[in-house]
Amino acid sequence: MARMKFLCDADRCIECNACVTACKNEHEVPWGINRRRVVTINDGKPGERSVTMACMHCTDAPCAAVCPVNCFYTTADGVVLHSKDLCIGCGYCFYACPFGAPQYPKVGNFGSRGKMDKCTYCAGGPEADGSREEYEKYGANRLAEGKLPLCAEMCSTKSLLAGDGEIIAQIYKERVMKRGYGSGAWGWKTAYRETIES
Amino acid sequence: MASFGRLIRLAFGACALLLVIMAAPASAQQVNPTASSVKEQQLLQELNRIQGRVSIPDQRSGVLEQPQGREWREFRNVTLRWIGGVAIIGMLAVLVIFYLTRGMVRLESGRSGRTIVRFTLFERFVHWMTATCFIILAISGLNITFGRPLLLPLIGFEAFSEWSQWAKYAHNYLSFPFTIGVILIFLMWIAGNLPNKVDVAWIKRGGGIVGHDHPPAYRFNAGQKMIYWIVVIGGGLVAATGYALMFPFYMSGIEGMQMAQIIHSVVAVLFVAAMIAHIYIGTIGMEGAFEAMGSGEVDLNWAREHHSLWLDEEMARTGPNDQTPQPATAAAE
Amino acid sequence: MLIRRTERQSGSDRRGSIADSLASQTSGLDRRAFLRRSGLAGGALAALGAMPISGVRKAEAAAAGPLTAGATVKKNICTHCAVGCTVTAEVSNGVWIGQEPSWDSPINRGSHCAKGASVRELVHSERRLRYPMKLVNGQWARVAWETAINEIGDKMLEVREKSGPDSVYWLGSAKMTNEGAYLFRKLGAFWGTNNTDHQARICHSTTVTGVANTWGYGAMTNSYNDIRNAKTQMIMGGNPAEAHPVSLQHLLEGKELQHANFIVIDPRMTRTAAHATEYVRMRPGTDIPVLYGMMWHILKNGWEDKEFIQQRVYGFEDLRKEVEKWTPEEVERVSGVPGEQLKRVAKMFATEKPATLIWAMGQTQKTVGTANVRASCIALLMTGNVGKAGAGANIFRGHDNVQGATDVGLDIVTLPFYYGLAEGAWKHWSRVWEVDYEFLKSRFDSKQIMETPGIPLTRWFEAVTLPKDQVAQKDNVRAVFVQGHASNSITRIPESLKGLKALDLLVIADPHPTTWASLAVEAGRKDGVYILPVATQFECKGSRVASNRSLQWGEQIVKPIFESKDDLEVIYLMAKKLGFADQMFRKIKVENNLPEAEDVLREMNRGSWSTGYCGQSPERLKAHMKNQAKFDMLTMRAPKDDPEVGGDYYGLPWPCWGSPEVKHPGTPLLYNTNLAVMDGGGTFRPRFGIEREEKLPDGSTRKVSLLADKSYSKDSEIQDGYPEFTLASLKKLGWDTDLTEAEMATIMKVNPTNPDSVSWSLDLSGGIQRVALKHGCVPYGNGKARMNAFGLPDPIPVHREPIYTPRVDLVEKYPTLPDAKQFRMPNIGFSVQKAAVEKGIAKQFPLILSSGRLVEYEGGGEETRTNPWLAELQQDMFIEINPADASDRGVKDGGWVWVTGAENNSRARMKALVTERVGKGVAWMPFHFGGWLAGKDLRGAYPKGTDPIVLGESANTITTYGYDPATGMQEPKVTLCQIAAA
Repeated sequence: MARMKFLCDADRCIECNACVTACKNEHEVPWGINRRRVVTINDGKPGERSVTMACMHCTDAPCAAVCPVNCFYTTADGVVLHSKDLCIGCGYCFYACPFGAPQYPKVGNFGSRGKMDKCTYCAGGPEADGSREEYEKYGANRLAEGKLPLCAEMCSTKSLLAGDGEIIAQIYKERVMKRGYGSGAWGWKTAYRETIES
Repeated sequence: MASFGRLIRLAFGACALLLVIMAAPASAQQVNPTASSVKEQQLLQELNRIQGRVSIPDQRSGVLEQPQGREWREFRNVTLRWIGGVAIIGMLAVLVIFYLTRGMVRLESGRSGRTIVRFTLFERFVHWMTATCFIILAISGLNITFGRPLLLPLIGFEAFSEWSQWAKYAHNYLSFPFTIGVILIFLMWIAGNLPNKVDVAWIKRGGGIVGHDHPPAYRFNAGQKMIYWIVVIGGGLVAATGYALMFPFYMSGIEGMQMAQIIHSVVAVLFVAAMIAHIYIGTIGMEGAFEAMGSGEVDLNWAREHHSLWLDEEMARTGPNDQTPQPATAAAE
Repeated sequence: MLIRRTERQSGSDRRGSIADSLASQTSGLDRRAFLRRSGLAGGALAALGAMPISGVRKAEAAAAGPLTAGATVKKNICTHCAVGCTVTAEVSNGVWIGQEPSWDSPINRGSHCAKGASVRELVHSERRLRYPMKLVNGQWARVAWETAINEIGDKMLEVREKSGPDSVYWLGSAKMTNEGAYLFRKLGAFWGTNNTDHQARICHSTTVTGVANTWGYGAMTNSYNDIRNAKTQMIMGGNPAEAHPVSLQHLLEGKELQHANFIVIDPRMTRTAAHATEYVRMRPGTDIPVLYGMMWHILKNGWEDKEFIQQRVYGFEDLRKEVEKWTPEEVERVSGVPGEQLKRVAKMFATEKPATLIWAMGQTQKTVGTANVRASCIALLMTGNVGKAGAGANIFRGHDNVQGATDVGLDIVTLPFYYGLAEGAWKHWSRVWEVDYEFLKSRFDSKQIMETPGIPLTRWFEAVTLPKDQVAQKDNVRAVFVQGHASNSITRIPESLKGLKALDLLVIADPHPTTWASLAVEAGRKDGVYILPVATQFECKGSRVASNRSLQWGEQIVKPIFESKDDLEVIYLMAKKLGFADQMFRKIKVENNLPEAEDVLREMNRGSWSTGYCGQSPERLKAHMKNQAKFDMLTMRAPKDDPEVGGDYYGLPWPCWGSPEVKHPGTPLLYNTNLAVMDGGGTFRPRFGIEREEKLPDGSTRKVSLLADKSYSKDSEIQDGYPEFTLASLKKLGWDTDLTEAEMATIMKVNPTNPDSVSWSLDLSGGIQRVALKHGCVPYGNGKARMNAFGLPDPIPVHREPIYTPRVDLVEKYPTLPDAKQFRMPNIGFSVQKAAVEKGIAKQFPLILSSGRLVEYEGGGEETRTNPWLAELQQDMFIEINPADASDRGVKDGGWVWVTGAENNSRARMKALVTERVGKGVAWMPFHFGGWLAGKDLRGAYPKGTDPIVLGESANTITTYGYDPATGMQEPKVTLCQIAAA
């Protein structure tokens, strides 16, 4: 059984934001909702690294643990999804998430939160795979079509890897071994409680 | 304490960084960005948080990683449930035991048939408005913490989400009248709730709850003052922290909001426990007490037993009410 | 009818219903595809067999839906830079519903940048122009296409009548296909003017001139993919991480796999520099001192490639004299780069080979742009780093077809394919076009002006406003027809407003109104402006040339949206209205006013011998797109046994010699003597004579050969240098007998009076080329590259301070070139520089201002700022300022500032980005913003509903005077400014 994960090789990331717009394009994500974003650490200084971040689909996901209405579920591929029908927009998952992944449209009262939206690993939601309802609520379901998340597929430098954890960890490991440096698989330890030894 | 440790780490990290920077010119203009690249694990160890620059206006999204969400998760899922469970169930248990052993505190001298105004219509309106809001806020709030393990299995996902959604709306909207209520209570009754010497004696004598003692008190005895300050301070805290959560990021970043949620929830469950006691005393715990907030008038004998000093003041000012005593049961429902 | 994806009927939904998807269930991903999608193909993983496959089965099992139910897949090329990424589009019922990774393209291999990943929005944007408009009493009003074309044409004919054809300025675009750009140039020729220009002027005109003057052709010598072979990558004056993001895939993987040196020399610590192994910060405008500083170390230590220089380089001793002046001390004094660091860089560049030098606007957009790129070429020649895999001048171009548009001659100095403007060139093209030379001549004011280069677009507004006697043509420019070019990319916006006001007619043909429209209104125009909606390239078909010279054929993804029209149709309608459509389209099929792109390409094939665009027939190009997967990622070559594209290099990178039937595979690396010509090998082009008379110190002269010395391409039958091939030289070699009768007949027809003089580039039969190739020779000859490029203003590059420099102390020693008349216009750079020094401008404006590109936007940015997926990522114009300079001025990160410039009391309001990306004393702005002017929001000046989402001040409001004498290039990369908190 595959365990789908993301891995950002920061030594390849150039903050080109392809992952961000690919996501917008694939799911028609509205303005102001950033399922994926790129953060630059130490901007402008030698040592600067950019990292793309979205929901990491954590092992023992904190969002799922703290959700008051238990609207999260983990698929057989290890993808953490949620039901917008059940979500009440309380914001608790945002407090728990180490990566700032949950996004809330500003709707309703006091400009506060609507139903949470986040990266689905291009795997849709609880609705039937490929259905119109699923697309409208969660976006495309590429996984069901046998494709991986578009952000990783379109990454300009193959910095963002998606796929089975073992495979992408292996790719990263060999890259680091070959080139002799690596600033770390960002978020990997926090999300999956494991490091990639190289 | 955790934050103190973080501070140390931060200072240490800054020093290390400074050392690196100072060492750089020594190696004859060697600027090798690849070799000097930041390392995730190093940053995490030093700062326990990784932050950078983003081009989108949402600057909070510049926080790349903040694993302290885990601590908050532990609090919410474990600590808070223990605190809340112990406080509320504990309070209920204490009250049950107390009721069983002590029973209702009776009017020892019986009813005089003459009443005196204790709370005006406005005061009662404010009380009940706040009280109603509080109860709904409390239930909807407890639902967030305890609903998932207790209620959800009983009614199922859809019904529970539907109910929780409405509870959330209620929680958000009713916060406003509740806050206004707390403010009015604060202003309305502040004069009678400043602690004084009488309170010391009152407390020393245990408030007369055990046995048949009746320590003197002004309009509010020390126990009521305690409730007052719990309402004012606790209410103030839950309101302030609640708004911080309701308007995310207006006041603070994610840590602030985690902290706000911790304060909000801890204060809230203690508040609930305290209010359970308050309700007990005001209803089945003490004969004649409910009338004060029911009809607004209390029997002179009740006043004499529980608020002798206040009665004296009132008598000196106006004299007793001549009206026929009102039955005080109607409002109790 | 336009349907957005979210509004689709589920019947036509590519996601289909579940029943549909189950019915046509496929096996989903095979293992190879999964690994590729997992990033493996991009990884360094050597052994596929060693991979654990535990994850794969799951992905296969998870495949529940069809890839694209009912959608057709179309391929086009991304329009946002010259890397040449294939865009794979899914189209359903005429609506572009999705983008998929283009795995098969050997160039982008599935990848995109922010722009490429969001191009779908450009087409279906609700803010696009929907119909033609004109300005009536200061208000935009809808008009019909026919009315617009008629009114525009009448006005132009009126201008022509009064002021001559040169008073109409035809500004074309690097965004057009080859076919569009070629027809646009042809339109200019048939109209009778050389005032036809496009973005290359402000982009790589200096590269084209400088590089072509060095070794023959002004283009990137190698390819993005080939950079993987480099042991040393040096990027100087470029930020490909933001400007050419997908190229970084090749650069970074090359860096990793080769353990290559990755040197970035730039005033700014860019996103590219973040990945450097050596970052060198220099003062803007000192490229030549830095390069000479490197060469000083190379020569001192004997690291130069002596054999290469001896065999293939001319003018080395002249260069040595100049280099010797640049001691480490002087270099550090001028550029700020320490000698030790430069020595280290020089050693890597010269000894850890192959080394490549990569550049872009950082070198070109200067008054010394041509000299800068010449110095870069010289550094490569000195170290023998040209004409080899992993080496070369890798010049990253900025628009999808800026290389192509330049090649097809959308330019002021030449007819298509660098034939120049001399009589012979006009006669060549009149033969190709099958029109009478005399007819063409009659279209111009005079034969003399017909053979005189036109006005560079950088000077268009001065051509309108300068006194008539200063503009060396019959009259000032009075009408501008701009098709696909931003106005805010051109420096000195405050000056350009005067030009906008004074014009009789302005026509803007574009998918978006652009700043031409908003600034024209702001300039005070009430009428005489037309806007024509033109389709994006995704709605057109045709060929485009990536930076590496590969031609790629783009399919029409969807039909032109709203009332917009294909570029080719607009050109045809104009030609028809202006009365020469029949002559101009004599050899081109036109249907419903739309010339057929394939037929246009065929005409180009028939005339483009000089540049080797003759072999890329539409059929071959389409076969390449169809067979993308077959090309090797590193060599870009298809297996020899493939029936359709066997042995070809991807995109038949020019020169692709001979007619399509010759099946030349294209030339992936220019001047590569290690390969036979028929395998893509080549030599330096002897373009400047075969020998030169040199003066010796004693006053005597000697003749020096400009032909290669004992160096030749593999399998060449002539094993030494040789001049270009003509019928005469074939006869001398006895190879003329290889010509067929038909070829000979054509040659006779080309020049009946003197057939011997017919050369490889004029022979319309292609016979001379075919015969040369048969004998392993390069048709253009085998010469030496020139370190001394006699004929240029500075034959040996010389450092010259920018017009506006903070180092006034250096101006006396390194002044800019004297005032002169160039391209019909006066260039008074010297006077401006002198006045600036005298007036103490550098004290008033102490910060160096440079400009550059953001990854989210492109060019003038109207198109990309209209795309919400991109606009969201950069919502404010900003200026980067060093923390030290910021704190001196009380400027806060994210706070508003006023930036003031050295000319016209220019000022602009924007946000400050306080960062160490820029050094102390340097500020930097992105150049994509527009729609604000001096703090004023011009949103209301756009036609309603067509304003871009994000507006902001243009960098070029602040930029100043300064033009390269060889090309008319502007100087937006170095000027002065002051910043104050707003």
